[in-house]
Amino acid sequence: MAGRFYDPPSSASSESDGGDEWPFSDSGMDSNITESDTPRNEGEAPLSPQFPPRPPSAGSQPKSPRSRRQRTLSQSAAAKAAVTTTNQDFILRTKEQKTFYTAGRPPWYNFSGQHVEPFVIGICGGSASGKTTVTNKIIESLGHPWVTLLSMDSFYKVLTEKQHHQAAKNEYNFDHPDAFDFELLRKTLQRLKHFKSVEVPIYNFITHSRETKTKTMYGANVIIFEGILTFYNQEICSLLDMKVFVDTDSDIRLARRLRRDISQRGRELEGVLKQYSSFVKPSFEHYIAPLMAHADIIVPRGGDNEVAISLIVQHVQTQLQLRGFKLRPILATAQVDQPLPNSLHILPLTPQVRGLHTFIRNRETPRDEFIFYSRRLIRLTIEFALSLLPFKDTVVETPQGVSYQGKRIATDKIVGVSVLRAGETMEQALSEVCKDIRIGKILIQNNIETGEPELYYLRLPRDIKDYLVILMDATVATGAAAMMAIRVLLDHDVPEENILVASLLMAASGVHSIAYAFPRVRIVSSAVDPEINEKFFVKPGIGNFGDRYFGTEPPNEV
Amino acid sequence: MSELNSVVHEDFGPNFRVLKRNDQTCELQTIIRDRNTSRNDFKFYADRLIRLVIEESLNQLPYTPCTVVTPIGFPYDGLQFEKGNCGVSIVRSGEAMEQGLRDCCRSMRIGKILIDSDHDTHEAKVVYAKFPEDIAQRKVLLMYPIMSTGNTVVKAVSVLKDHSVLEENIVLANLFCTPPATQTIVTAFPQMKILTSEIHPVAPNHFGQKYFGTD
Repeated sequence: MAGRFYDPPSSASSESDGGDEWPFSDSGMDSNITESDTPRNEGEAPLSPQFPPRPPSAGSQPKSPRSRRQRTLSQSAAAKAAVTTTNQDFILRTKEQKTFYTAGRPPWYNFSGQHVEPFVIGICGGSASGKTTVTNKIIESLGHPWVTLLSMDSFYKVLTEKQHHQAAKNEYNFDHPDAFDFELLRKTLQRLKHFKSVEVPIYNFITHSRETKTKTMYGANVIIFEGILTFYNQEICSLLDMKVFVDTDSDIRLARRLRRDISQRGRELEGVLKQYSSFVKPSFEHYIAPLMAHADIIVPRGGDNEVAISLIVQHVQTQLQLRGFKLRPILATAQVDQPLPNSLHILPLTPQVRGLHTFIRNRETPRDEFIFYSRRLIRLTIEFALSLLPFKDTVVETPQGVSYQGKRIATDKIVGVSVLRAGETMEQALSEVCKDIRIGKILIQNNIETGEPELYYLRLPRDIKDYLVILMDATVATGAAAMMAIRVLLDHDVPEENILVASLLMAASGVHSIAYAFPRVRIVSSAVDPEINEKFFVKPGIGNFGDRYFGTEPPNEV
Repeated sequence: MSELNSVVHEDFGPNFRVLKRNDQTCELQTIIRDRNTSRNDFKFYADRLIRLVIEESLNQLPYTPCTVVTPIGFPYDGLQFEKGNCGVSIVRSGEAMEQGLRDCCRSMRIGKILIDSDHDTHEAKVVYAKFPEDIAQRKVLLMYPIMSTGNTVVKAVSVLKDHSVLEENIVLANLFCTPPATQTIVTAFPQMKILTSEIHPVAPNHFGQKYFGTD
């Protein structure tokens, strides 16, 4: 069952080891889905939305972690009436044969670079009431490319040894509010709501403790938070923009639970019934059912209730439109006539710099020359950027026996972050001038249909918040991609004044957009062109720098 | 004492230029001068400073305006470098700068001059010189990183002039020089263009030894 692409959450490689981060689900917490016929991210195995591993219906003791995970998944897949997740290929298929693939993350901030509040949907309901089905259907109908899924199951408390033994005998109450770490849950949800990255615990249902690794998640335009007691804590409840209660008849829930636990988890009828009557049912009546009073919408019959789901989806879509996530056209026209900002530093225009620009802007320049002269220009730009970093005075002893008053850089904590693909061309120059520098990468692509940038991938050094960051993007037109990259860094707690954007060519509008949104980010470029054209290329420009450098121009442009 | 050991900001005429100082170039000079710098670091940071000096000295070479068309079909008013340049390094420390020139100008011809000082008289004399055949018609980028007295460079330039190179066609690329050396050079060759990164009473004379690891 666990195909070769499936990484059990207990050892998923994308988790917090090494400080690396994947904004997308590969073992399952956050989903970002779009509708498409082909995978957008070529060369990467398409990653699909997965859904949180289910909690145990408490107490079952599997033989090994792997078998537990497998069961968890199969159960989760079976619980989906309309949507099935095939772990082998990471594709979400609907019954209408529509296919969803992972896509990039669209802007989650407005044109001044500030966060637009995400829309948080809380989904509450008893065990086996069909919360997952409702969640899937909402995601599916929303067609929104970036949704983060947070499940209460990740927030079970770590059990003491005594409780652990109780759990083994079906005598620990997993359905009681005391079983959850609401404090951590509240902090996590608050951070997500402010678009900060969070480390979500991975709960191990065998040891009833948290894995040492965590799962990194990000806020999104839509956050869906589901669980049995999502409305229980008042503070958490106040964070939810929409509260949905899935109300399914208790006989049906018991029937589902019996089927799930016995046929899929290999448990004994006696144990399941004991657990149900002593914990699940009383908890539902005491704690879960009263939460219905907090709900904005109650969905009877769970996932089968198409009318209710389409109402929810309509409301969310209206809310998202009101919040306005479309950036590019606004950016392109903003502040064109303003003087260039003080945060901009342009490489002094010497004859060499002009000559280099002449080579790389000329469409007739063969690629080997293009690469050669680009690299020279990049080197000068990087050296110039480094000269803007903080330095401190120092006195050194010379072999000549006199002391020399000089300067040393004030910090050796510098990292480079390149915005793929064109920004990667600048990595080499940075490595050539900064010994052993660590380099992070952010992949942002433009969605061809919407013209909006989308975040696909990011890998940043651990503790990036403690570093000065040189963000490299070869060309900046509207500034949309650079702003997204800056926003990512800020969301990783890098202070704004510690970010420096280095670029070969920027359009004035891009400079304005970045400077307006992030006035303390320093901007370095080897040239600033006055305009951009309707395709958002800089004018007169340089063409598609990445394509020319890597030799991937479309045939008619070669 | 401190005045004796600080950077000199003196104007030596229109043909003498100092690389624009910033914190970054100052750090490179500091590392090169620091006696505790490892050889590995020394070479790394020396190469960076050399690259900056070479890039800047290339600005002294001639160019003509030209307009090109960019990939999206718009004109760009740029400029074109003229052909007919060559580099000449003064052996041995000048050779440290050859790679920097190669990194900027892939196929530039590079000549060499070896100048040694006479054991008894301390007079600089030419031991070896090999130039491109048509050097008389070329602009020459003369490379020598450290000038204490300027005697070696005076000798090298006179060799070039013996090969009919015009004084105004020579650009000297230098890293560190002393005020007396500067005075000597600008007095001897007022037409020659000179670029350095720093004028300081004490020259880092260990440069060649440390760069090539023969100290």
